[in-house]
Amino acid sequence: MNKFKKKCKKIFAFLKKEPVRIALGLLFFLPGFILEKCELTVLSRILCLIALVIAGLPVLVEAIKGIFHGELLDETFLMSIASIGAIVLGEYTEAAAVMIFYLVGEYFEHRAVRRSRGAIKSLMDIRPDEATVLRGGREERVDAEEVEVGESILIRSGERVPIDCVILSGNADLDTSALTGESVPRAVRPGDPLDSGAVVLSGVLTCKTLRPADESAAARILELVENANERKSKEENFITKFSRVYTPSVVVGALLVAILPPIFGWTEWSEAIYRALVFLVVSCPCALVISVPLAFFGGIGCAASRGILYKGGNTFSAIAHAKTFAFDKTGTLTTGRFAVSGVYPVGMDEKELLALAASAEYVSLHPIALCIKQAAGEVARPDESREVPGKGSIATVAGRQIAVGNRALMRQIGAQIRGEHTADAGIVYLADGSEYLGCIAVSDEIKPEAKAAIAQLRQLGAEKTVILSGDRKENVERVKKAVGLDAAEAELLPNEKYERLERLIAEGNGKTVYVGDGINDAPSLARADVGVAMGAIGSDSAIEAADIVIMSDRLDKLPEAIRVARKTLRIAKENIVFALAVKIGVLILGALGIANMWLAVFADVGVAVIAVLNAMRAMRIKKAG
Amino acid sequence: MKFKFNVTGLDCPNCAAKLAARMEKLDGVDSAKINFLAEKLTVESELPEEKLLVALQEIADDFEDGIKILK
Repeated sequence: MNKFKKKCKKIFAFLKKEPVRIALGLLFFLPGFILEKCELTVLSRILCLIALVIAGLPVLVEAIKGIFHGELLDETFLMSIASIGAIVLGEYTEAAAVMIFYLVGEYFEHRAVRRSRGAIKSLMDIRPDEATVLRGGREERVDAEEVEVGESILIRSGERVPIDCVILSGNADLDTSALTGESVPRAVRPGDPLDSGAVVLSGVLTCKTLRPADESAAARILELVENANERKSKEENFITKFSRVYTPSVVVGALLVAILPPIFGWTEWSEAIYRALVFLVVSCPCALVISVPLAFFGGIGCAASRGILYKGGNTFSAIAHAKTFAFDKTGTLTTGRFAVSGVYPVGMDEKELLALAASAEYVSLHPIALCIKQAAGEVARPDESREVPGKGSIATVAGRQIAVGNRALMRQIGAQIRGEHTADAGIVYLADGSEYLGCIAVSDEIKPEAKAAIAQLRQLGAEKTVILSGDRKENVERVKKAVGLDAAEAELLPNEKYERLERLIAEGNGKTVYVGDGINDAPSLARADVGVAMGAIGSDSAIEAADIVIMSDRLDKLPEAIRVARKTLRIAKENIVFALAVKIGVLILGALGIANMWLAVFADVGVAVIAVLNAMRAMRIKKAG
Repeated sequence: MKFKFNVTGLDCPNCAAKLAARMEKLDGVDSAKINFLAEKLTVESELPEEKLLVALQEIADDFEDGIKILK
């Protein structure tokens, strides 16, 4: 007996599945539909009723459940009323069609949602659940969350870094694309810190964990992206509000359409009620309610996969309309590392001067000397070389007596400096005997992509690009010129930076973006319409205050962020306009008696499916070629 | 206390909002929010976690078949 019960339960559960109900419903409905055309009315009605019960009974049950919870205008309830109403009017085929196609639509809608959810999940699948820990000399596979700070873990090639850690031994190539959107692998060696989420491409690493798993980079990124959904965009808020009034209004409209025309004697009661049922079928705002947030979620996911973290959907529209861009200098426009920024020879070419300086400083470990040697490439060994403490070096290079160092050294050997040059880090002068040869300027290195990124911003509609810096005027001007910005303000105190930004916000049309990385940038990042922080070099407080975080610190991610935002907004707006236009169109046609229930069902579920498919495009926004 | 659960089996954002509204009516629950796309349920409540989980699952079962709330 019990076995029989179990079997019944199993069959019942099987029959409750959407595809099964759709298939069985269609099996009865199609002959019913054909028979109706052959005017075999009774047989057709019986078949349609069976189809309606198979497809619609669970819907009706849910509708009744909903009523007990005080949800009167539930979708299931409205659909139930529509098909019961159709039967009362003697429209058996349409009654069955409403239910069956409602189910078909739901089915496709759910599939589309599941698929896009899956796609977003795999995009975000950067956090490994397990780690290999070395405990008492043995490898143990454990939950990443159970690993304590300071334990040793083993990461093999092909694996993701499970927890933020520092390399104890081993060399490897690292793919950080999931974190930074950078596809070029990075070589790492003992002593280098690793962020969780990066993939080890080759090599085996033994590392010491720095943080618990849930505070590691991958977890923080996921947290940020998941919470991003809570800061809603204008469009999403509009949809939420709209859906609250939409369904009740359409139901009221249905009542009016059902009652008023017959009272005035314009139409028959049965015709009026049929038109009202058409209203009920299109009364669900589902297409909008699902597809607009899905577009934003897709856009956020798409940006995240390229190393651009949006903290909320509300930022999309602000950055899409940005006209003014203010930048911090060090760490934002520049890398914060020193490099040769200018070579000014007298009577020889730049390469020669660099080679000479590099040779003369062959033994020096001074940071500036290291920069010059790096810029020179291959360095010829000098015949003899000695350092002059606090001043520079004097060396014999190919028989010449080369002095390389600061002004004091030049004075000491009696060389006359010609020309005026400036640099952030310092200037190195060269002399052969007492004959002046020229100088080399070493400065904070400008990011190689900076100039192109600013040009792209202009193409995207930037009207004003400004550098706001606390650094000396000459240095700021140099960066401004090299990058191609419109204006530069130098020697600003942190509070002055903030004031200048406020002035830019007041003066500019459109929205103002501030891009920075330091602790002192945090107030400006929070004050700007859009704050963009550099994620790698940036301080925690800057990342905290910003609306967007660029994980790789690359400036060309900024125009990319704008493009993703604009495309996402367009998709969201397309969905709003498309869904509303179709629904309102069907409502008008329905009120006039032109639209039938078939069309109404399409307007309800067809639009939802199309809108969801459109929203999924936001996940696949292409990179600019 | 703020609790975060995974919630699976929800197929429509409208339903997610309704389910969250019902959970909010539960005694001892201050707020309940469902992030439909991320499938996350965030609940603020004074109840102990295990008890809360059972109560929430009960509400979900009553609401629709096939919804699972997991730690």
